[in-house]
Amino acid sequence: MEFTLLWAALTGVAGLWLGVRFWARDDSDSLFDNLLLAAGVGLLGGRVTAMVAQGLNPFTNIGDLIIVRGGVSTVAATVFAIGAFYLSGGRKTKVLDMAAPAALLGLAGWHLGCLWRGACLGTASNLPWAWSEAGSHITRHPVEIYAALGMVLGAWLVSRLPRHTGIRTGTALGVAAAVRLATEPFRLSITGGPVEWYSAGIVLGLAAAAFSAARSRSRT
Amino acid sequence: MRRSVIVVLLVLSACGSGQLAGQDLPDLPPITGEELAITLAESGRPAVVNIWASWCNPCRSEAPLLTAAHDAYGDQIDFIGVDVQDNQADAKNFISEFGLDFTHYFDRDRSVPEFYGGFGTPITFFFDGTGTLVDTHLGVIDERALALGIDEIVDR
Repeated sequence: MEFTLLWAALTGVAGLWLGVRFWARDDSDSLFDNLLLAAGVGLLGGRVTAMVAQGLNPFTNIGDLIIVRGGVSTVAATVFAIGAFYLSGGRKTKVLDMAAPAALLGLAGWHLGCLWRGACLGTASNLPWAWSEAGSHITRHPVEIYAALGMVLGAWLVSRLPRHTGIRTGTALGVAAAVRLATEPFRLSITGGPVEWYSAGIVLGLAAAAFSAARSRSRT
Repeated sequence: MRRSVIVVLLVLSACGSGQLAGQDLPDLPPITGEELAITLAESGRPAVVNIWASWCNPCRSEAPLLTAAHDAYGDQIDFIGVDVQDNQADAKNFISEFGLDFTHYFDRDRSVPEFYGGFGTPITFFFDGTGTLVDTHLGVIDERALALGIDEIVDR
């Protein structure tokens, strides 16, 4: 049994906690609880979806639910997490906007967790910051570090946007999808990665942000 | 509402885990670690060797990924399954259920993982074209780790 995935998850939770402390001090305890709940529901929903997609029956293979390393559907996890958070929150738009930068910082922590998992590397590269697997002569892009940095930058950008309007939430969704899409060419993949879903996330997020901005302007 | 839930549950129950037509397959040939080493060295092709068993739940979880990897890279590298501590009937059903359409061997005594120094099940070994062990992954392998291991042996 190895616990590297657990360490990566804890790094994500640490990022989430830091984000809540930085950007949502007022309601930090309940917000952090709701975000953790959303992350748990997202993980479960994403795992069940991945099992069905792989042809594994979640009812007859119930023990496989905990084998997170066997695959988690990113898209389903996102939908389940946002849905769970939306249902558990109080004043919806305000709470979602407060959580948005913290959620991005949590994702940054999850990507940075590749350092524990030994899973940071992607396609081959000769750039000065590329590094190699132990015992290998092939240097590679540290693609998960790129993603982590992108999420941190995105969290900071989103935290600068107006609160309580929904603009932060939409922008955060677009930023998360954009970071994943931009780093995908540097990842090694067998099934190709869900690039069409990342594209849809960018469009949906930016549309939600634009709609929120227009509604906010019309109110003032 | 209740009716909708029942319909969804029935649909999900019908997904995956198709039963079994494995008994038409021939018995898996036995192999030892030494014999596999000779086979790999003589083949001249990089290889992914996956240690699995039909009773191993994590093996079920990674089986669809191995099928996808074989479909994508089967023309460049060999995929070899080694079934350990198992019986022929269950092993053949497992192969049939997941469509693991590559070479499999039978290793009741865990000779292969002991020869290469791996413990537990599943294990995935990556070999270059000379039969030299390049990397060992203990436990369930995810898509990124499998893709990285394959990229390492293909590029050597």
